[in-house]
Order: sequence, then C-alpha cells, then structure tokens
Amino acid sequence: MNLRWHHFALWALFIVGMFALPQFVSNGTLRTMIFANFLAIFAISWDTLSGRTGYISFGHPFLIGIGAYTTAILTHRFDFPVEISIPIAVIATMVGGLIVLLPALRIKGSYFALVTLAMMELVYQLVQVVRPDLTGGTRGMSGLPTLTRGAANGYYMSVSLMLAIALSMWLIMKTRLGTALSAIGMNEEAVSGSGLSVTKLKMTAFLMSAFIAGLGGAVYIHYLGSIAPRALFDINFVFTIIVAALIGGAGTTIGPIAGAFFLTFLLEYLRPWLPGAERYMVYSGLALLIYMYQPKGMWALMTQATFKSKIRP
Amino acid sequence: MSAKLEIRNLVKKFGGLTATNDVSFTIEPGQSVGLIGPNGAGKTTIFSQIMGEHPQTKGEILIDGKEISHLATPQRIHAGVSRTYQVPRPFSEMSVAENIRVGLMPDSIWDMITRGPNREREVEIASAIGLGEDQLERLPSELSMGDLRKLEMARTLATSPRLMLLDEVFAGLTVNEIAVISDLVQSMRDDGMTFLIVSHDLKALEPLVDHAIAINHGEVIAQGQYQDVMGSDIVRASYLGTA
Ligand SMILES: Nc1ncnc2c1ncn2[C@@H]1O[C@H](COP(=O)(O)OP(=O)(O)OP(=O)(O)O)[C@@H](O)[C@H]1O
Ligand SMILES: [Mg+2]
Repeated sequence: MNLRWHHFALWALFIVGMFALPQFVSNGTLRTMIFANFLAIFAISWDTLSGRTGYISFGHPFLIGIGAYTTAILTHRFDFPVEISIPIAVIATMVGGLIVLLPALRIKGSYFALVTLAMMELVYQLVQVVRPDLTGGTRGMSGLPTLTRGAANGYYMSVSLMLAIALSMWLIMKTRLGTALSAIGMNEEAVSGSGLSVTKLKMTAFLMSAFIAGLGGAVYIHYLGSIAPRALFDINFVFTIIVAALIGGAGTTIGPIAGAFFLTFLLEYLRPWLPGAERYMVYSGLALLIYMYQPKGMWALMTQATFKSKIRP
Repeated sequence: MSAKLEIRNLVKKFGGLTATNDVSFTIEPGQSVGLIGPNGAGKTTIFSQIMGEHPQTKGEILIDGKEISHLATPQRIHAGVSRTYQVPRPFSEMSVAENIRVGLMPDSIWDMITRGPNREREVEIASAIGLGEDQLERLPSELSMGDLRKLEMARTLATSPRLMLLDEVFAGLTVNEIAVISDLVQSMRDDGMTFLIVSHDLKALEPLVDHAIAINHGEVIAQGQYQDVMGSDIVRASYLGTA
C-alpha cells in the first residue's frame, strides 16, 4: 500500500478544518454546506463505480431512491426506529440495485449507461402509481423522523458521515482492489487477460457504490424530514452528481468532494440571478470548459498549479 | 510446470470471413513451436480463441487433455495459459510496477484489500524481463517500444503460466532488446515452459523453436520440424504471395 505519513497529516488537517468551520460561518452558509456534504457522498458513490471502472451510471438517483424510500416507508408507515430502518435501507439498495443492474453490468460499454437511465425513469413512474398508500405517490412523504435539530448539528452529522465515507473509500482505493478497479477503466481486456474476473470486480465496485448511495440517501431524507420523488428522480440531480465528480476529478477521493462543494456554492450564488433550471446550463458549460482544459478535473488542475509554483521559486 | 496444448478442427468465422478454417495441431509439454504465416493469416485469431476472447465457431481446445472452451478467460489463465498482445496496451495511467501488480493479483477480493502487493515478486519479474528497478515507477508513456514489449511479457509472466503464447514480441525491438527477450525465452524453455510463438522476425524465431506450424488464409499448410516447414515449397510460396 502506498501510504505516506503526509497523506494522513493532510487528512487530519482537512478533518479538523471541516469540524472547525461552524465557528466561522453563518447558519445559512452552513445549510448550504450540509447539501454539499450530501452531494459529496453521492459523488463519491458515483465515482466508486463510474469514475474508477469507466462504467458510467446515469441512474444513481435510482440507488439513492431505494435507500431513501425504504427507510421513509419503514419509519413512516411501520414505525420502525431509524437505527433499524437505515441499515435495512442500505441492504435493500445493495440487493435491489444488484438484481436490477447485474445483467447490464455484465455487458461491456455504454449499454450500462442507458439501462441505468431507464431504471431511474422506471422507478420514478412506479413510485407514483404502485402503492401510493405506501410511497405517498407524486407528493411523497413528509413528517419523517429527523436525526438532528439546527444547522450546526445537521452540519456535524453530514460532515462526519461524508468524511467517514471518504476516508474509508480512500483507504480501500489505495489497496490492490483500487488498482484493479482503475485497471478496468483503462483496459478491460487486459484485466481479464491478467486472470482477473472483471464481472466480480465490477460487482464489488457496484456494491460499494450502492452501499454509499443507499446510506447517503437514507440519512439525507432523515435530515430533510421529507421525500419528494420529483426532486429525487430528476435528470438535473443525476447531472449534478456526475458533474461534481467529473469537475472535481473522477478516480480520486478528494476530487468529488471538491467538486461537490464547488458546485453547491456555485448553484447557490447563481440562484438570485438564475432562479430556474438555467443554472444547470451554466455549470454544464463550466464543466465542459474544465473538462476540455484538464480532463482529470479541478483537483489535477490545482496540483498542477502548486507544482508549477514550486518549481518557479 | 509444462502444459500440453491440443487444438482440434478450430473454425472461426467473423461474419462471412473465415479467419481460421479447421486448424488442428498439438504442442507437447515443454515444446516450443513457431506459428508463422503472412499478414492476416489468422495467427492472432488462434491466440484469441485459445484465450477465449473470441470464442471459436467450431472445434476444441484442450490443455493437458481437458477441454477449456467453456471457460472464461480468467479461468483459462488459471488453467495455465497466458498470452501477450501484438499491440501492447498497458494500463496507461499506472506505473510499470502497478501494471505487473495487476498480473499478480489474487483471486479473492478480500485478499486484494487485506494483503499488500508483493513488491519483491514485482521487482523479480521486472528484472527477469530486463526492466530495471529505476523503471518501476515510470508510466508506460515514458517507455520505449522495447520496454513496452518487456512490460507486456512481464504482465503475462506474472500470471505464472505453463504455456505462453507470444504474439510478435520482437516487433520494433533493437538487436539488443531481441537478445534480452530471446535469453529469457531460452531460460524459461530450460525450466520447462511450453511456447507458441508468432513472429515475422524469422531470424529471431529460429533459435527459440524446435517445431513450426505454417498457416495461410486460416488453414494449416505445413507443420513439423522447423527446418522442414521453412524448406517446404508451399510455405515459401505463401510468403512470396503466390499461393
Ligand atoms: N475482431 C475481428 N473482427 C473481424 N475480423 C477480424 C477480427 N480479428 C481478425 N479479423 C480478420 O481475421 C483475419 C485474420 O486476422 P489475424 O489478426 O488473426 O491475422 P494475423 O495472422 O495475426 O495477421 P498479422 O500478421 O497481420 O498480425 C484477418 O482477415 C482479419 O481482418
Ligand atoms: Mg496478428
């Protein structure tokens, strides 16, 4: 494993900084940062599967949705406590996602992207018509149990979850599993030509991704206290997740976090000028620009810049 | 250590094109056989059928007497066969060491996570193939064609094969690099490795093989002792393009 002490020092610094933040910023900013934390979780989830192996998922809301709806229904309709409903939601996301997407995962290439996109649409429709007495139909559900009160607590909860996930994924991706997953993205044929089962690896990446998506989705709606299908199964939501991972730098752990914070604040600051969906055009354009200039994202751009300033005294 | 390879009546159709047509041959354990033929003869296609990358339309492939056609590529590799690719396509954003690491990976995901890489073995394989320790952290884009071919050999070697299929390993190499790879093949032959080697460079091939199989238009046109095959009229004619 390629671990150096300065990696841990940077992580420690990052964690301390994130936890100190509520001392310095307003509650409004804090609320924005809570959303950034959740977006970061979803972007890490996306990156675990798509950023590493190159199998692009357009259906992450589908996974997030399984987690969110499972815990919402269990707590709201059956009075489950969240300590039980959230773990069940995570397992449901992994199992449910696998059953539906395994056939697509076995097939090489862009087919996977299409199937995931279709899946998201399908679930959106299903949630509205099948058993609306359970799902709340088009309107969703509100009055769900919330985990925290107040902006500061919400922030601590979301940032702890985000950092725990980020650190775990960073460690896992530093192992040989991480190497093998990235190898799929570079040359799938040579991976199986090296004796490795690509399907097994993709499944592992998928399960890790689904675990994070399910957990993030479940905790998210218990932060909000409500669930609304239109916001969840929204194509803009998928793009926000993907763009966060891509502009931050797919295939890294810090990239999706940086991208999520950047995007959340960008969208927030654009709100007064562009209240509608036009905002998404702005960041799509921006994402495209960064992508053209540095396909590895902002993170690579930043390390490039510090590297340059180092050699130029 | 050595594996036996039997190919029986192998047919491969790509749409209307028949890339191999009823190809049969046997390689005994420890034998080293040259597979020769003009461009487009079907040599690489034979390799990809043996590995299961392009499953055959018809025919059988046996390793040590066991039919492997129903196996996926990774399982065939576990059965002891491994190949190099004619056009090396290494994992482009990984160092030389990491490229070799992929070939050395364990089967179990759990082992991948909990056990670190076998650094010693990586260095050992790299140096066996003539890649210096100073090159281990380089990216493939920083390597010469010769070193890329060595890396391709190293990744193949890392899977611990008993039968190696080498596809044009000498193409684009300098005389010195050819010598390094030849020596390596020779020493592996001494250890009992079975080889099937495709090469247009007959001068480099000759000392490495005892037998040869010549194919043209997907069909075996001669097989036997290397000298006999090379001396046959039909093989010469196919190389001159008159057949
Ligand atoms: N994936 C494929 N799809 C369609 N046709 C193919 C494919 N692979 C090979 N062929 C065709 O099969 C025939 C045999 O190709 P093959 O690559 O096996 O030849 P070769 O003997 O390795 O040639 P070379 O010496 O140029 O490497 C050629 O006509 C080639 O165009
Ligand atoms: Mg070929």
